[in-house]
Amino acid sequence: MGEQSKQFIHGLETSVKAGSIEGSHEQGLCLIIRVLPRYLIPVCRACLSKGAVFDSAFVSSAGQEKGEFDVYYLFQAASIGRMVAVASRGHAFDALSETVNAALWDERKIQDLTGLRLAGIPDSRPLLFHPESGLPPEHPIGGMPFKRPRSAAYPMAGTGEEGEFEVAVGPVHAGIIEPGHFRFHVVGERINKMETRMFYLHRGIEKAAEGRQAASILPLIEQISGDEAVANSVAYCQAVEQCLGMEVPKRAEHIRAMLMELERIYSHLADLGGTATDVGFTLPASRFAVLREDAMRLNASISKSRFLHGQCIVGGVASDLDAQKRAGISGAMARMLHSLELLERMTFTSSTFLDRVFQAGTVSKGIAKDLAIVGPPARACGMHTDLRRLLPYSAYSQVAVNESIEKEGGDVLARFRVKLAEINESARLVALLASRLPPGEIRGRMAHQKKPQSDVGIGWAEAPRGSCTVLVEIAPSGAVKRLACRTASFRNWRALERAVEGNIVPDFPLINKSFNLSYAGTDM
Amino acid sequence: MLLENLRFIFGRGFADKVSEKSGDPAVREVAQLLRKRSGSPFARSIHVRMVDAGSPNDVELEEGLMMSPRVDAERFGVHFVASPRHADVLLVSGPVARNMHIALVKTYEAMAEPRAVVAAGDGACNGWEGKGNYALAEGTGRVEDVLHVDVKVPGSPPTPYQLLAGILKAGEALAQKSREHRK
Repeated sequence: MGEQSKQFIHGLETSVKAGSIEGSHEQGLCLIIRVLPRYLIPVCRACLSKGAVFDSAFVSSAGQEKGEFDVYYLFQAASIGRMVAVASRGHAFDALSETVNAALWDERKIQDLTGLRLAGIPDSRPLLFHPESGLPPEHPIGGMPFKRPRSAAYPMAGTGEEGEFEVAVGPVHAGIIEPGHFRFHVVGERINKMETRMFYLHRGIEKAAEGRQAASILPLIEQISGDEAVANSVAYCQAVEQCLGMEVPKRAEHIRAMLMELERIYSHLADLGGTATDVGFTLPASRFAVLREDAMRLNASISKSRFLHGQCIVGGVASDLDAQKRAGISGAMARMLHSLELLERMTFTSSTFLDRVFQAGTVSKGIAKDLAIVGPPARACGMHTDLRRLLPYSAYSQVAVNESIEKEGGDVLARFRVKLAEINESARLVALLASRLPPGEIRGRMAHQKKPQSDVGIGWAEAPRGSCTVLVEIAPSGAVKRLACRTASFRNWRALERAVEGNIVPDFPLINKSFNLSYAGTDM
Repeated sequence: MLLENLRFIFGRGFADKVSEKSGDPAVREVAQLLRKRSGSPFARSIHVRMVDAGSPNDVELEEGLMMSPRVDAERFGVHFVASPRHADVLLVSGPVARNMHIALVKTYEAMAEPRAVVAAGDGACNGWEGKGNYALAEGTGRVEDVLHVDVKVPGSPPTPYQLLAGILKAGEALAQKSREHRK
């Protein structure tokens, strides 16, 4: 084990209790720490006090004994360059969200999946299941029978101000958009409080993966969120490769990174166009839509899929990027950047545009830290969250990524600027990676794939919306025992709730668009 | 350069040519359907309400790009509306999640007759493989098991032109239904 990891663990033990850590080992870029259930929360809090950032909390069934579970709390420890996983096995656990607000949705999800009751959780309403739509016969993880709730009601309280009334929106919205329910508590037009109710699109993806061969479920991973398919696939593949001890050829890593940057470009183009649409500035909106469609056609020309589906596979990539395809990409990038410059000038010189986006939907740095948000919304209020730089995976360890940060703002304008800068940076990275593309194979050898080298693997990637993390457990047969995934959208929804406070209802679509969270990616 | 800039900002001619000689089979199909439909009461106006009942958002993005200046479905009279009360066609992507079942049925019931349902994407057409999934309606999430489906548009996801062809086919089904309605 590396010196930094040893010191980190020593630091944890001194601040909790000597002997509180049962065991620990390094695995790829992860540091896995096993603790007894009673030390779980103190060790997690010690991690946070050492500057690590809460990433996610996962649960899996511990196997033979019913009612026994493994829980994993993941932290991004950029100071030691590792993802720290605090793992524990037991029948009952305390809730981290009692003191760490960011973990609330993760722990509510754990409760719904397993039927566990985490002691001290501040909100015990169901998250994944809507009782009015009917409940499954048993909890999906561990098979404990469901305790029927006494009523199907999902109480959403306002602030209690005099004259406050409720506006209920969704799940089916007016535009071409995914389903989710928003409950506004308003006085006049001012929003006092907004609460979301999600998980209309809960499709049980994590459960559906169980029992299937690890290399065969990538089409399922692409169903998490269609426009983040590459990033989610890369995170999943890295988790599986870590589990199986597979080497990925350098060329494949570079191609994966190029595909991820192309995905970021087409995704951000949609966001920028959507922002222009939602302020009613139709000319740049329609021009962004042209760029977007052209980006999709570029994707189709290099991968047969407009969403780059099917490209990332366990051990490498499905098809090579030959010189002709690379030339096509670089030509398209040049045309796109030229148009983008014109659009940038058009939007930033328009007072109608700036009036709407400036100081709309502001997220303060305090809220951002409290909720541990990720991606462009976090970078728009000055937080460094880019995992390409903090925990460089795959080819990003070989190229320097300039993180796009807006030191102040945190409003719709700042998010717009971050995304604009990220498109330019992605185009630069695509060109850089293409010029450095190493020769060789695009698929790793499968010879030692028979038996997993460890029972759990963790992978991550910086998706267009922020970091996503995947944890996978693989049985000796090569079948998936447990898949767990945390997307950027899942982490950021609660920040949207806070961002709209004090704004007016008609600005909600604009603020929502500037976050552009994936409903499907949240609900899974 | 100046001319190019002006053309980009104010120019016309972004829309694709839709012809029966196109290299893309979906574009050819759209061209054929457009030629055939001239006598139908829905020839120049099909109003569509979409419901995402469980797709991973790619079908919705393609629906959005169907309205973008390149494909520009509005020039063929295809128009997305905010309320099911105004809609002729319900465009459903899937698989139908358990939690979306009620909302989907309510949206359908709010539509006036005649109405047609298009199942868009592999998830909506075939559901998910494998044994019953606890989170999907009827275990597989096929739209057919929840509503009567008039047109299926397979694809993962279907392209904007494939979606457009599906909506135009639903227009034919609507014309048929409205003739029966009048009898």
